[in-house]
Amino acid sequence: MPRATVVKRLRKALDGDEGDLKALLREEYAGLEVEQRGELLERLAESVDDNGGSAALSARLYGVREVLRERLPVCIVDERQPVGLAVEAILAIDERSFWINGWARDEEEGSGQIVVVSPEGCRVELGESTFRFERPDVVQFYAGLGGAGSREHGFTAFFELPAPSRLGAGWVVELHTAAGTAVEVQCPPVNADPKMIRATILAELANHGSLSGPLAAEHGRHALTRLQERIVGEAEIDSVDLYGEQPSSPEISVVIPLYRRLDFLEHQLLHFSTDPELAEAELVYVLDSVEQREELASRARELFALHELPFKVVNPTAGSGYAGANQLGISVAGGRKLLLLNSDVIPDRPGWLGEMCRFYDSHEGIGALGAKLLYEDDSLQHAGLYFHRLPGTEVWENAHRFKGLHRSFPAAGVAQPVPAVTAACLLVDRERYEEAGGMPVHYVQGDYEDSELCLRLARAGYENWYLPAAELYHLEGQSYVAEARREPSGYNMWLHSELWGETIAATMESFDPHATAVAS
Amino acid sequence: MSDLKILYVAHNHPTLHPGGAEAYALELYKAMREAPRVEPILLTRIGSNVARSRVSHPGTPFSAVNGDPGQYFVFTETDHFDFFTLTSRDKSLYTRHLTDFLLAHRPDVVHLQHTHFIGVDLLSHIRRVLPEAAIVYTLHEFLPICHRDGQMLRTPGDELCSEASPRRCNECFPELSPQSFFLRERFVKAHFSNVDRFLAPSAQLLDKYVRWGIEEERIEVEEYGRLAPAQRAGDPSQVKSPTNIGFFGQLSRFKGAEVMLDAMAMLEPEAKAHLWLHGANLELQTEEFQADFAARSSELRDRVTFRGPYDHDELPRLMRDLHWVVIPSIWWENSPLVIQEAFFHRRPIICSDVGGMAEKVRDGVDGIHFRAGDAWSLAQTIERATGNARLWQKLRDGISEPYAMDEHVEHLLDLYTETIDSRKAVAVSA
Repeated sequence: MPRATVVKRLRKALDGDEGDLKALLREEYAGLEVEQRGELLERLAESVDDNGGSAALSARLYGVREVLRERLPVCIVDERQPVGLAVEAILAIDERSFWINGWARDEEEGSGQIVVVSPEGCRVELGESTFRFERPDVVQFYAGLGGAGSREHGFTAFFELPAPSRLGAGWVVELHTAAGTAVEVQCPPVNADPKMIRATILAELANHGSLSGPLAAEHGRHALTRLQERIVGEAEIDSVDLYGEQPSSPEISVVIPLYRRLDFLEHQLLHFSTDPELAEAELVYVLDSVEQREELASRARELFALHELPFKVVNPTAGSGYAGANQLGISVAGGRKLLLLNSDVIPDRPGWLGEMCRFYDSHEGIGALGAKLLYEDDSLQHAGLYFHRLPGTEVWENAHRFKGLHRSFPAAGVAQPVPAVTAACLLVDRERYEEAGGMPVHYVQGDYEDSELCLRLARAGYENWYLPAAELYHLEGQSYVAEARREPSGYNMWLHSELWGETIAATMESFDPHATAVAS
Repeated sequence: MSDLKILYVAHNHPTLHPGGAEAYALELYKAMREAPRVEPILLTRIGSNVARSRVSHPGTPFSAVNGDPGQYFVFTETDHFDFFTLTSRDKSLYTRHLTDFLLAHRPDVVHLQHTHFIGVDLLSHIRRVLPEAAIVYTLHEFLPICHRDGQMLRTPGDELCSEASPRRCNECFPELSPQSFFLRERFVKAHFSNVDRFLAPSAQLLDKYVRWGIEEERIEVEEYGRLAPAQRAGDPSQVKSPTNIGFFGQLSRFKGAEVMLDAMAMLEPEAKAHLWLHGANLELQTEEFQADFAARSSELRDRVTFRGPYDHDELPRLMRDLHWVVIPSIWWENSPLVIQEAFFHRRPIICSDVGGMAEKVRDGVDGIHFRAGDAWSLAQTIERATGNARLWQKLRDGISEPYAMDEHVEHLLDLYTETIDSRKAVAVSA
């Protein structure tokens, strides 16, 4: 019988009665040759597409796998046996992509093939690109065997399956050594919590000192990008709470993600309430720390009653980070212009929003327009961004012009085009924002989104500008603990350079970040 | 013209919590009640930290005071007050209750003596609910500027501080970020922007607020007006040997309780000085302070007598056997009312040489200054003062009568009228 027909028949049986399926397997296929069974199983597993599957189907496939799969001897880890294999973690990035961690040792020291088998029966060989590294504990364990080969027993890899896997357990890993030994081990249960996985992967990148090395380039980046997409994709708007009468067709929507420091809301609303231009704008807060929903709702009610300044609060189903929160906010925003604002930004005086809008409208082709942002001691936090190549590396870092100098520093008082501006306070035309592709979600925990947004706008033909007439205070970094951001920050910087390095190099050729000439 | 309605707001009622600002608020209210065509209302805050039981009725924080139709308590939970940002966390206090109260009385003038426990939001809220009302605010200490109980004393060394900034305040409170202090300052100033007129009872206090950012044209010095006591203390029985020194006020660290006791312990054995402590609020101090105070005053029982809290009406009697009044505060003070009390009874003052004390007591004219916080300097000053009957007599003759309440009332009424007029002018031009 043609194989395709067999697969079809089995697929049909998978959807039918379980007893019939078992009988069919036993009677017709269990007796096939090892290779035939293997191929049949793989084709069957791969026949499930992303939309077709379900946890129930996965469970059935697991049953089929258990009948058809050729089992290898279970690996016994023993310091006298040269072949050893262990899997320490399987992390589900999404249903098709996974991250695996373990170690493998063989007679030839490192030439074995590692094959991962999903509970549904898909087989993936971890290839050459698998990240191998030394595991001192494993080296120590096998010290008695001697061996002059590779000491890099540890392996870590991002891999993709040809079909989705939805079961929390049942993974098997096989090791086929060049000398002909083949063993297998059961894997621990799958970890599917995206935020925990993200932290684990970042920690691994950092542990291997390779936020920008091969582990990041070949594995980490794919895994983290997919994770970010998943985290952002899974966060949907659960509800939008309206406080006061919302402007019906606002010119500007101010979008402000809130993360943990809800006290900022009170400060912003107080200062906004004395500025008539803010009353005309649509104020959209997005709560990214979703566990504070009740607390925010009760504060928001009271603060609206106190200040009578209308605003809305977007409550997502899950936290999705800075870019995700902005995307959700923008999705409900009705303004023709978007003013992206951080919750820890407090205006120096009323009138800043009008200044920004008028400037935006009176100059053609502006992409993003940034403001003069100040620290609490009246030194400059932001007067436009540029890029700085870390000495001796290919990595570009975001840098702030004139940061730390006094707000009155003359060169920071000049409106001018700059490579990028911070999204702590960023005005952009909505159509241009969308034309450029919006804010990227692939950075972890709020970093570099703004410069990529600006680079995307520049690619679309717009120019990013800095406007010193709009002055606001930015109490930078008050809602995050600096330490918690160190790892993502290094990774984000590397990814940003990976994606935009050439554009940045070209931009920086014609931009002098230290120019202090002020036209009289 | 209809009567002028004035709402006075204070953070405590003097019968529940003795204190200078509280006493003044009540005196001013009473004096205004006597003024023709003026209808004053006094709203004082009451809460769990001063009253033994919750003094309010279900559904309202307001209650009457001693049957006086012009006085009200407003109850606020102490826990609801944010001592850092000086705001009530329970915003319904403003949006519901104080709105109702303001609309019920519709005062022409709201004169705030204090917003503690009620919150600075009240200022913006008055402006929103009663756009035409004149808002006047008497500043009694430095709470809006300084998180350390408004004392402008640095931690941990108690040096006097003359200027707040996010950086300097963070030095005093390392656990609070400079950014938090920035937000605090902006928050308070935003609410303060609704005040038409600030009154500073001393020039030194005005200077500090101007340096902090209140525009000079929005603030003026206006001393506390005082009602002259019905009875003046007579001469002490012993005028040849002016040995008796009195202390009146809160026995706390900031008021210099330790400096005073240290100084008494340093006196030469033959010195005849005796210190009479008429101190209140000892029970509000830390347990450590109370224990230390008890131990120290018992060691010094030959020189120091603790006589506990006093009633204002008792002053003539308590002053009678005193020659001097001592004010040893280690902070700036504002304009200590005890200076006026002492001068009414013609007692020269020994005081710290800083802030409101140095401004209101003239060294060598009606009192003697010593180096603030310096017990040795105070001990020397006490020895010099108590052994010198001629000096005492000279300083006594140098005392002039304190600023009278009726003059103060007259000035305030002019100021209220002016402020109301300029508000109207603003409203018309807008």
